[in-house]
Amino acid sequence: MRHLDRSAPGEREAGERTWEVVRAAFEERLPSPRRRDWRPFALAAAAAVVLAAAFSPPGNAVFGSLRDAVRGDQNAKPALASLPAPGRLLAESTSGTWIVQNDGSKRLLTGYRDAAWSPHGLYVAAVHGSELRALEPNGRVHWSLGRTGRLANPRWSFDGFRVAYFAGRSLRIVNGDGTGDRLLTRDVRPGPAAWQPNTHTLAYVNRAGDIEITDVDKRNGNAIAQTRAAPRQLDWASELKTLAAIEPHAFEVFSRRGPRIGGLDRGIAQVSAAAVSPDGKRIAFVETRGGRSTLQLTDVLGGPTGAIFSGAGTFANVGWSPDGRWLLLDWSSADQWLFIHSPVKKVLAVSNIRANFGADSTIAGWCCP
Amino acid sequence: MVAGSRGDERAWIRGAQSGSVPDLEALFKHHWPRAYRAAYLVVHDSGAAEDIAQEAFLAAVRSLDRFDRRRPFGPWLHRIVVNRAIDWSRSRALRRESGDAALAVVAAAAPPERGHEEPLAAALADLSPEHRAVIVMRHLLDYTPGEIAEALGLPRGTVNSRLRRGLDELAEKLDEDLK
Repeated sequence: MRHLDRSAPGEREAGERTWEVVRAAFEERLPSPRRRDWRPFALAAAAAVVLAAAFSPPGNAVFGSLRDAVRGDQNAKPALASLPAPGRLLAESTSGTWIVQNDGSKRLLTGYRDAAWSPHGLYVAAVHGSELRALEPNGRVHWSLGRTGRLANPRWSFDGFRVAYFAGRSLRIVNGDGTGDRLLTRDVRPGPAAWQPNTHTLAYVNRAGDIEITDVDKRNGNAIAQTRAAPRQLDWASELKTLAAIEPHAFEVFSRRGPRIGGLDRGIAQVSAAAVSPDGKRIAFVETRGGRSTLQLTDVLGGPTGAIFSGAGTFANVGWSPDGRWLLLDWSSADQWLFIHSPVKKVLAVSNIRANFGADSTIAGWCCP
Repeated sequence: MVAGSRGDERAWIRGAQSGSVPDLEALFKHHWPRAYRAAYLVVHDSGAAEDIAQEAFLAAVRSLDRFDRRRPFGPWLHRIVVNRAIDWSRSRALRRESGDAALAVVAAAAPPERGHEEPLAAALADLSPEHRAVIVMRHLLDYTPGEIAEALGLPRGTVNSRLRRGLDELAEKLDEDLK
């Protein structure tokens, strides 16, 4: 029986991750007189790091090369010829949902919106009129489900067994094969919802603007994360098992049991989009201030930021390639998509996005080599 | 594992209660391996074991101010871990019964985490979660049947019969494997 007292698989790594979460929860609960508020110093240090990066010779080179890379049509390709990393893209426009293959070939699924990949990219869940449908990338519909109320934002759990979606002002769950549709809650703000990897635990925003984290099968043991402002986007970081909440002027990071364990307050800058890297360690986010947008990168628990790219106007969205080596930035004001290698080594710009994909086009997901 | 006496543990708890991160870290490092192993041996899923052990430690952090440091920390932590591990195993069994197999076309089959295991741990995985739990508490965590009964809220006789039956099943499975 002494054989039982041996290291279990993943014990050390899980311990390291858990210690980070426990330490953060512990520091969060300490009475305020004991805590010194380091945020002003941290912000000043972060600003110094960004400025130093921007104006040091290597920083100049990076910013200069990025500016050059997107200056005018001579550098941006007129159409998307191929993706720089394995996988397929989902893009949306007023015409419908586009599936873009790795070689740049694309197919329009007319009339579909709010599309999301299934875990391995075999299917897409999308809304068509008053129906939620699961279809293959070639357009063949596997199942559909009609519901009253505006359907929106289907999200597939990581094992493919559950799909969460909004119907009017309620949040519903259906099995991955289209059976077992049921109401999860009406205490919800339609919009963001995110499955925790490898679980049937869903995070969503309740009417009060806080985050509820619940196992949709057990329906008990809800955790509530109290936010500063209602999040517009939720994203799990699989590595640390933490939840990033994107708020209008900040992002906050919570443990799966609810305590806040990190984040960044961006002051008056508006945080408009963000994406956690596939390894769960970094977060890329877009902030806009005074008509200028900046793509920033930082550790998922917060800390110093690094400006990756800055440009006039609006960056509508950002996403990671499945291998975590590229960022795709939707520079909607410039009608361009930028593929940015991370760390920054190369930038590939593609223009004429509206002409190629239709009005109001934006990226919706990059999935599955 | 960090070696630590009861005196060390009391000092760590006292330090953590007054805000010392190093003391909390010492307490965590001392108790993490067995908490995680216990969860893993009941659920046989490393992701779930991490969640369960992590939740137990977060519960400890939340209750730290109220914790009576004259009492040992381990039994309190292990009770949370093992009860949550049993709940998790039961809920997963129920989920399987609800027909998820039909969805396999959508999901890639996840290989069970069995290939690396010792024969004993692998045989343990074939028992019911209730039997696994009492065996893990008795033979990994070294609790007496009376202590197990208290931790799991069971009559002592039930613990003894589960131990006996679980060990018999385990012996049978190991015999089969060796044949």
